[in-house]
Amino acid sequence: MSTVEDLLHTSTPPASWIARRGAGALELLRREGLPHRRIEDWKYSDLREVLNSAGGTRAGKELHNPFTALGGASLEIVDGVLLTASAKLPAAIEMVDLSGSTAPPPWVERQLGTLVHDGLCGAALALMTGGVALRVPSGMILEDPVGLFFRSHHSHHVRILLVVEDGAELELLEHHAHQGQLANIGIEIILEEGASLRHVRLAQSAGDAALVETIGMRQAKGSCYQSHFADFGARLSRLELQLDLDGVATQTELRGLQVVLPGRHSDMTIRLNHRAERTASAQVFKQVVGAKARAAYQGRITVAKGADGTDSRQSAKAVLLAASAEADLKPELLIFADDVQCAHGAAIGDLDAEALFYLRARGLDELEARSLVLRAFLEDVIGTLSSDAVKSCLWTAVDEALAELGAAS
Amino acid sequence: MLDIKDLHVAVEGKEILKGLSLHVGEGEVHAIMGPNGSGKSTLSYVLAGRDGYDITSGSIIYKGEDLTVMPPEARAARGVFLALQYPVEIPGVTTINFLKAALNAQRRARSESEFDAMTVLRLVRDKARSLDISEDMLRRALNVGFSGGEKKRLEVLQMALFEPKLAILDETDSGLDIDALKLVAEGVNKLRVPGRSMLVITHYQRLLNYIVPDRVHVLAGGRIVAEGGKELALELEARGYSHIVKDAA
Repeated sequence: MSTVEDLLHTSTPPASWIARRGAGALELLRREGLPHRRIEDWKYSDLREVLNSAGGTRAGKELHNPFTALGGASLEIVDGVLLTASAKLPAAIEMVDLSGSTAPPPWVERQLGTLVHDGLCGAALALMTGGVALRVPSGMILEDPVGLFFRSHHSHHVRILLVVEDGAELELLEHHAHQGQLANIGIEIILEEGASLRHVRLAQSAGDAALVETIGMRQAKGSCYQSHFADFGARLSRLELQLDLDGVATQTELRGLQVVLPGRHSDMTIRLNHRAERTASAQVFKQVVGAKARAAYQGRITVAKGADGTDSRQSAKAVLLAASAEADLKPELLIFADDVQCAHGAAIGDLDAEALFYLRARGLDELEARSLVLRAFLEDVIGTLSSDAVKSCLWTAVDEALAELGAAS
Repeated sequence: MLDIKDLHVAVEGKEILKGLSLHVGEGEVHAIMGPNGSGKSTLSYVLAGRDGYDITSGSIIYKGEDLTVMPPEARAARGVFLALQYPVEIPGVTTINFLKAALNAQRRARSESEFDAMTVLRLVRDKARSLDISEDMLRRALNVGFSGGEKKRLEVLQMALFEPKLAILDETDSGLDIDALKLVAEGVNKLRVPGRSMLVITHYQRLLNYIVPDRVHVLAGGRIVAEGGKELALELEARGYSHIVKDAA
C-alpha cells in the first residue's frame, strides 16, 4: 500500500542542488496528492486508486528486452540507478551519472529541471534515486543507436536529461521492464538547432507494476523528432509527452502503438504546442485492446497565435477484441493562429468478422487470421521505422503480445 | 465427392434451407439456379463453414467425411474452395502476402512443406498472366479499390493456386460485363479436370453458356425443386422461374 507520504520518502537523499529545483513541484504534489481521475488530464489513469488499492506486489514473468540482441551501446538503469554504461558508448558523448552528489557540469546545471510541469514529474526530479544526463555534441552524427534500458523490482524515481546539440543526430532505443510497485520516470529532451532525434520506446511491464513516464521536450529551429512508442500495458502505464515546438521549421512525427494485454491499462497523453511558424507535426496512434483492458490516447495540439504556416495531422484508431475492452480516444485542437492546416480523425471498431471468415475459408486458422489482420492494422506505425533490425525487435514484441491476446480469447 | 442429404439450415432462427439434397460426383460440374431468396448463398456459406448458419438437421458428407464438424480452415485444407459473390476487402494485407499465408497454411495442415516467397511469387505470376491480373494488383492491399471484375478474377486466381477438389462459385457472374465474364469463365474452364468438382451457383443462364454444366438443379424455397441437364438452364431462361416453382409446390 502506498500513499503520497510513502512515495515522498526516498532512501537516498538527492543532491541539494537537485532538491532545490524540484522543491516547488514536490510542494505541489504534497498539496494535491497523487493524480486521480477527477483531474481532467488523468481522467483515464487513476494513479491514486491504483497505488492505494490493497494487495502487495505480485511478481510477473521475466521480461526480455529484444533490443539487447542488436548488441549496440547501451546504458542500464536498474531501480533508478545507472548500473552499467557499455564500453561501446562513443567517447564523444558526454555522460553524467546523476546519482552522485558532486557538482554537475554547467550544461546539466543549466538544463535539468527546466521542463518540469507537474507534481509527479517534479517528484521524479526531487526524489530521484539516480539518473543520467547525456549530451551529443554539436555536429556529431551517430551511425548506431544508443540504448537506454530501464528495469526495476522496486518503486523508484529516476531522471534523465538528453541534450542533442546543433546539427547532431542520435537514435535512441528506450526499453522498460518494471516489476516494482511504481516506476516514476521524468525525461527532459532538448533538441537544439538542426538537431535530429529518432526515438523508439518499448515498454513492457509484468505483475502489478505501475509505470509513469513524463517527457518534457523542446525543439529548436529546424530540428527533427521522429518517435515510435510501443506499450503493452501494465497495472497502470502512462506515457505523457509535453512537446514545445519553439523554433521555426521543425518537423515532428509521433507514432504509437498500444497492444494492451487482458486486464491491463495503457495511456498515451500527448501535449504538442506549435509555437513558431512553419512547424509541421504528424501523429498516428493505433490501439489493440484485449478483454477487460483499457487503452487511452489523449492528443492535444495547440497552435499559438503567430504560429502561421503550421501543418498538423493527427489520427487515432482502436480495435476492440472483446466486449469488455475499452478504448478512449480524445483528440483536441486549440488553434489561435490564422494560417494553418490541421486535420484530425479518430475511429474505434472491432475486428471485421467478414475479413476473418474470408481468411479462414482460405486455410488460415482463427489465430493466424486475427494476427494477419492486426499486424496489418499496426503496419503503418512500425512500417515507418528506417532500421530493419529495430523493426524486427518491435514485431517480435508485438507478435508475442498478439499471441497472448489470441490465447486469452 | 459431395453428398448432401435432407439439409435444414436456419439463419438467426429463420429456416432458409428446408430439406436440400444434392449429390455431386468427382469431376462433375453442377449448376444451382434459383430465384432471389431461395437459399443459394446460404448453401455456399454452410459448405464453407461460416458462423451463424445453423444446421438443424441433415448431413453433408465430403469425400467420405462429415464436413459439418470441421472449422472453415480445415475444409480449405481438404480442398473446399468458395469463390465469394462479394470478395472481402482487407486493408493493410497485400494480395501476395495473403496468397502466401493461405497457401502455406493449407500445405501445413496437410503436412506438406511450405513454399518460400519466391516460389509463391513464381506460381502466382504464372497464373496471374492469363487472368489479366497485374503485378500492381498483387502488391496492393487485398481487394481494396479493386473493381468487381478484378475481385472475381482474383477469386479465380486463388482457385488456380489452391487447386481445390470442390470449388463452389457463388454468383461469380454478378456485376460482370460480357468481356469480364468470358475471361473469368475461361479461367474456370481451365481448372476443369477429372479430380475436381464444381458447384456453379448462378441466377442467370448466361454464365452457363461458357461454363457448361453436367447437371442443373433449381433451388427454390430452400429445396431442390427440379433437376435436369444443361437444357434446363435454357428452359428457365425462356420461361422464368415461376412455372417451375409453381409446378413443384
